[in-house]
Amino acid sequence: MDQLPNLGREQEMLDSMGLKSIDDLFSDIPEGVRRVDRLPLREPQSEEEIWADAQHLLGANIDLDSRPSFLSAGLARNFVPTMVPMLATRGEFLTSYTPYQPEVSQGMLQAMWEFQTMVSELVGLPVSNVSMYDASTAAAEAITCAVRVKGRKATQKGVVYVSQFVPPHRLSVIENYTQGVGIELRTLEHDSNGRVNLEAASSAEGACAVYVEQPNAFGELDEGITRLKEIIGENTALIVGVDAVSLGIVEAPGNYGADIVVGEGQPFGIGPTAGGPIYGLFACKKDYLRLMPGRIVGKTLDEDGKDAFTLTLSTREQHIRRHRATSNICSNETLIALMGAMHMALLGPEGLERLALRVAATTEIAKQAICGINGVELVDPDTPNFREFAVKLPSDASDAVTHMDAAGVLGGFPMGEWWDSMSSCLLIGCDERTTKSDIDALVSALSAWVEEVSA
Amino acid sequence: MSDIFEFNGAKGSGWSQPEPMKEDAINTVPTSLRRSNLPRWPRASEPELVRHYTLLSQRNFGIDTGFYPLGSCTMKHNPRINERVVQLPGIDRIHPLQPEHQIQGLLSIYYEMQEMLAICAGMDEVTLQPVAGAQGEFTAIRCIQEYHRRNGDVQRDKVIVPDSAHGTNPASAAMCGYEIVEIPSGEDGRLDLDALRAAVGDDTAAMMITNPSTLGIFEPEIAEAAEIVHAAGGQMYYDGANFNAILGKTDPGRMGFDAVHYNLHKTFSQPHGGGGPGSGPIGVKAHLADFLPSPIADREEAADGGATGDGYRYFWRTPTDSIGKVQQWHGNAGAVVRAWAYYRRYGRELELMSEHAVLNANYLRHQIMNPTQEQLNSIHSMPVDGAPADFVKHEFTLSMMPLKETTGVTGKDIAKRLLDYGYMSPTLYFPMIVPECLMIEPTETESREVLDKFASDFLTILSEDPEVVQSAPHDTDVRRVDEVLAARSLVLRKQFDD
Ligand SMILES: Cc1ncc(COP(=O)(O)O)c(C=O)c1O
Repeated sequence: MDQLPNLGREQEMLDSMGLKSIDDLFSDIPEGVRRVDRLPLREPQSEEEIWADAQHLLGANIDLDSRPSFLSAGLARNFVPTMVPMLATRGEFLTSYTPYQPEVSQGMLQAMWEFQTMVSELVGLPVSNVSMYDASTAAAEAITCAVRVKGRKATQKGVVYVSQFVPPHRLSVIENYTQGVGIELRTLEHDSNGRVNLEAASSAEGACAVYVEQPNAFGELDEGITRLKEIIGENTALIVGVDAVSLGIVEAPGNYGADIVVGEGQPFGIGPTAGGPIYGLFACKKDYLRLMPGRIVGKTLDEDGKDAFTLTLSTREQHIRRHRATSNICSNETLIALMGAMHMALLGPEGLERLALRVAATTEIAKQAICGINGVELVDPDTPNFREFAVKLPSDASDAVTHMDAAGVLGGFPMGEWWDSMSSCLLIGCDERTTKSDIDALVSALSAWVEEVSA
Repeated sequence: MSDIFEFNGAKGSGWSQPEPMKEDAINTVPTSLRRSNLPRWPRASEPELVRHYTLLSQRNFGIDTGFYPLGSCTMKHNPRINERVVQLPGIDRIHPLQPEHQIQGLLSIYYEMQEMLAICAGMDEVTLQPVAGAQGEFTAIRCIQEYHRRNGDVQRDKVIVPDSAHGTNPASAAMCGYEIVEIPSGEDGRLDLDALRAAVGDDTAAMMITNPSTLGIFEPEIAEAAEIVHAAGGQMYYDGANFNAILGKTDPGRMGFDAVHYNLHKTFSQPHGGGGPGSGPIGVKAHLADFLPSPIADREEAADGGATGDGYRYFWRTPTDSIGKVQQWHGNAGAVVRAWAYYRRYGRELELMSEHAVLNANYLRHQIMNPTQEQLNSIHSMPVDGAPADFVKHEFTLSMMPLKETTGVTGKDIAKRLLDYGYMSPTLYFPMIVPECLMIEPTETESREVLDKFASDFLTILSEDPEVVQSAPHDTDVRRVDEVLAARSLVLRKQFDD
């Protein structure tokens, strides 16, 4: 065991305390609850053995980069600049805790203040926190935050409208976070072309909040969302969930009236990592500041009048406000947000635009190519898409995925896993790294399956 | 360079990327939806940013920099192999929705971790989905809530927490809609069974408690407390933030708990990263297992030996009455894999980790509380124990009240002065029941020499000129930071001139 500096020196230390054995230190555990047997676990391993096993086990996984992959569904198969993990895992960042002592934590505090600024610029809202757990808890806590802020004036008490096309795994998180605190979720209907039904949206006037996503679960961009704020009015919060990369070419929701913007930060900073750790973006208007969740860094001065950063508005948080806190969040995703900040800074404004254009380009090319397959149709033919699009297949989409898998292509996500009524629909996701030959492989694998099931 | 926005290279400068595959890709966005102004992000080259972030890192204190006795947070060394493992494409480049046969290795690690955690805590089933301790609390209380609902016990609308509980406990229960009943600790800082008896009833949904308590002492009457809560029909929830003190010596199952969260970023060394990520799996007894979030890893025998060669095929399983999801995917898989690498190092000797954590805490407490006569002569006032006990577990609390009374020097002053000596400060003013509290957790990865030096420096500070201590820190990057000004002026982002 190479992690214990005092191994083999226990007795000296015990002697100096006048104790006989380590067991003395545990004598305060009553016999009735004491464990007598050893833990029935495996033998300890050396670092070399752990590395070998890790390579073996993780090597048994098929990674996204090893084949043409069109699985996105809310995560991005991105390319993270080499600098990012190298710098973020410097020990001073990696092994620090929440910066409760600002005098020795200026580095992380400043990096988070810069992160807040970049997120604020990205979404067009003045305030950002230093991360939520992921896009789903960001959305869920945006809703509970909006209800706190708008609850009193709302004529539809506790009511929040949620877009029909929020993916079920995200909706489930939202339901868990809202079910016990007097919030009623109602569905905001979409038209048959996938767009928000603006007439139905007008019934949300007087509710506490409306939550929509741009693009929606099918990767569809909806111009109507830019008119939502007008329709629902000042007393109802507009919460928009975004694909962060799309904002290089799609209007920032803050510029069309969004009160809170949330989203997955993952495309900036870290690979899909089997779904975590990733980080949620949370930004809002000033009116929400004092009731928002999460940590916030402010700029101030030290005793000598020198610029300094510190955590601020902590009185919202659980360690001070306890059960009246705006959220239970304590540990967040700071290190991943730091990686995000590094990635954003490397891109710069024009780099962000180019990244978005690259994704838009591959999405469009793949969409056109797939539409060329006889028997495959777009679910919503006249809708613009970003990153993802949904197609209707002649038979079960999970069967298509299995078939393509055998041909060495990860062909997308079978939407029947989300909605029973969509079992023949396939969600195809593209990214900046999708190549022409990936798309060719997808077309040929999908065509082969279509031919087989149509025969 | 005062901040990153001062890097203002030429338009379009920055990290280079290939051209978009299609020239007119912008036409995929309807004109009315196109972005009008790009965000004002910095325009910087890689060398500039490498230096920027290197300089920032040098202005940040981590465990790698020095002793970090931040009580309750378990700032132990983070083995570097863990970081190397998560860079493997078999975790970094994995999508959580990939077909099961493509992620057999990941599933097997999940399965191994679920089993190991269940064994360590005396629980029947584990989910790795919650991504932090607080989310683990929330998840477990949600499961308990559904359990009561299934039993028709809808009148159970209260959750009991001791006044020494961490803030996340009441906050998590409140987010599920529960009313919080806070019970006072006894004179000795321990759980007061009479107060508990008075608080329970047929409206009790659960009690949330950590053991060892936030004072670092083992609650000897924990089994009796569990009996009281169970007799009233409530459930017992174990806050596992302090599990690193007792692993292998006892477990929450034996103490009578029904549900527990683990902090993989404490007990199992996932690095804290300046505030996160964490990982907060929960374990439950069989009667709560149906409610766990979906999915959890399971396995069956595989005739072909399985993809990892261990004889099993792994798959995701949804518990029958699952509460659904608390995070969209499978939790912080990267943190789980790091914790797996950590666990493999100890295996069945995990108990050694607890033994050394407790040895170090008791040793440091002994060194601080037993100064030499010479030291004692120059000390203004000795601290007093936050709770009287022969032994502590992995941490201890000191009340600096006597010093405050004699010299005006507060716990916060001591905390700031420790920074001058090259230490991170202990946890300050928590638990709230100890006046002028410093909470010290050395962890098992500090040597005796470090503990001796810290004790001696701590005692030196107690004898220093109060004015020097009150105006600390003196030798840090910045001096004492004006938090009141920060909250008043609220400069939460960069303001641009244009
Ligand atoms: C006693 C205790 N309980 C719960 C928590 C919450 O854990 P997390 O920060 O992972 O949400 C903490 C961590 O700070 C803690 O110290």
